[in-house]
Amino acid sequence: MLPLALAAAWCGLLLGAQVVAARRLGRRPLYAPASGRAGAGVFYAFTGALMPWAKESVRGHLVTYAAGILYHAGIAASFARLAVPARALSVVALAGALAGLGLLVKRASVADLRGLSRADDFLSNGLATAFAALAGLAWLPWAAAALPWACVALLVYLPLGKLRHAVFFFLSRRHLGAFFGRRGVWPTAPQE
Amino acid sequence: MDAVLDTQTGLQAFRDKLQEAGACHLEACVRCGLCAESCHYYLADPVPENIPAHKLARVADLYRRHCSPLGLLGLGRRLDEKAADDLVDAVFGRCSLCGRCSINCTVGINLPRAFRAARAALTAMGKVPRDLQGIVDLALASGNNMGITREDWLETVSWLEEELQAETGDPNARMPVDKQGARILFTVNPREPKFFPLSLQASAKVFWAAGEDWTLASEGWDLTNYGLFNCNDKEAGTITQALVDAMERLGCETLVIGECGHGFASARWEGPEWLGGTFPFKVRSFLEVMDEYVAEGRIQLDPERVSEPVTLHDPCNLVRHGGIREPQRRILRKAVKDFREMAPCGTENFCCGGGGGQLAMGAYKERRIGSGSVKARQVKATGARILCAPCHNCIDQLSELNKEYKLNVKIKSVAEIVADALVNPVPAGEP
Ligand code: SF4
Ligand code: SF4
Ligand code: SF4
Repeated sequence: MLPLALAAAWCGLLLGAQVVAARRLGRRPLYAPASGRAGAGVFYAFTGALMPWAKESVRGHLVTYAAGILYHAGIAASFARLAVPARALSVVALAGALAGLGLLVKRASVADLRGLSRADDFLSNGLATAFAALAGLAWLPWAAAALPWACVALLVYLPLGKLRHAVFFFLSRRHLGAFFGRRGVWPTAPQE
Repeated sequence: MDAVLDTQTGLQAFRDKLQEAGACHLEACVRCGLCAESCHYYLADPVPENIPAHKLARVADLYRRHCSPLGLLGLGRRLDEKAADDLVDAVFGRCSLCGRCSINCTVGINLPRAFRAARAALTAMGKVPRDLQGIVDLALASGNNMGITREDWLETVSWLEEELQAETGDPNARMPVDKQGARILFTVNPREPKFFPLSLQASAKVFWAAGEDWTLASEGWDLTNYGLFNCNDKEAGTITQALVDAMERLGCETLVIGECGHGFASARWEGPEWLGGTFPFKVRSFLEVMDEYVAEGRIQLDPERVSEPVTLHDPCNLVRHGGIREPQRRILRKAVKDFREMAPCGTENFCCGGGGGQLAMGAYKERRIGSGSVKARQVKATGARILCAPCHNCIDQLSELNKEYKLNVKIKSVAEIVADALVNPVPAGEP
């Protein structure tokens, strides 16, 4: 489908341009001798630090954490559902859509979170949730027909808003892991 | 009429400080808000402006407009007078750069890194709070951040040396100044000679008991560096250079940073980056040195001498950003009878509220004391009678919190507690 290919190209190009813009700011060499290993910090950042017990912010919001995991799994399943018409993918996508909807309701109803939010937050969630919902309902002909168009809309918007974290999550987390790893702060001791 | 804002200079400073890592952090926030409760400002005053992500969004807006290709589409916010003032409020007025939000961020964003870049831009545009810049200027002009003259410094040391001799009963107990080739050059926070001389005397007593070959410097003795807070790397580098010069002049082996979080972070982690090269000497915290003395049996401690319950504050720049978490714990477990951890502790501990230059910025005093209520609650919950804080900046803030929140604790540095618990060495020749 040509629109899907064009949307993917737009998304890739614009995200790529943003990564290039970040890279153009450069890195200065580090001269302070390390206390720990950057690599160990990066490994921990992508493993232990992501566990629900590792962070106070997650320990106190386990339902949100679980919804977030499910939401992301649902979106991944929705992309897979575009290519493979498997019922299991639809089930995961539907569960993800429900989780996304829950997060949207939370954003709209918790005063401080609403105060923090921008139109981008509602639009990003709305597009991703709609995409997952259509993938979840894709056994219905109209939903199956609408699914690629929802994907087009999602890909067109992705690099313009916070959905760009699809790429920057990995880059950001890697940098944080290296920072704390070099300083011997991560991996965190288990007693904490 | 106000001077026109030099946004070009500001943006250049912003890009220089941000670098690739900072840009990636600014692109990654999903505004989930889960960082809110990790910030003592938000816990003390739960308004959206105090949510770390809200502060970050102000910086990200600037980035988007001026550094990202999306700026061409008009996204983000143009840097003008109003945007700059909003940024001042966010990154100077509501943040102590403690980094607690970054370890709690679901994505993995190093928020203080972005805040520092914004501070650098504001400082370059002359928007830095005047009293904070005043401290940097004073350090640059006088060699220390309190403008203590060389005569006063040397006189204080000599008076403390006499006190040390009286306390230890050893006429040979010394506080050497400019001792060529000493193993250790010990640097101090000017608050010590000015307000807390007993703390400096306690450190000297520990060196004396360990039989250390150490010295103070007549110049280049101030370990503080408020360049870490105005984020002007050139000024910060010049301040650090004074320590490097002292090390070179005296030919010492190890630069030991007295108990100060930001002083340690400045000399140990940032200094080499500011000056663009690895130092030809080791930089260590006094806590690491004391920990070694205890482990090697060079000093003997009797915990019965410190019988009141003791709790420990974790200075962010020493622990979360410095990687010095265990030495002070190992020392206290040997030096006191009843050691009680705060909850949470270590890298998860809360900032006292005095960091990031907050102690120097009068305009935000009320917020600073308010944000300290979180630390005050932590201290109270331990039931401790002694609050140990290995950072003289923190000690200042904690002393204010002690009064404001009626904590009724004695506040001490680790060296002071070690000095209290010291079993004096037996002079040579005695059984
Ligand atoms: S936790 Fe991280 S990603 Fe979530 S709002 Fe805070 S800074 Fe943004
Ligand atoms: S660095 Fe500390 S003070 Fe600043 S926003 Fe994060 S938690 Fe709050
Ligand atoms: S004043 Fe103390 S607790 Fe606060 S940021 Fe500095 S080191 Fe951390």
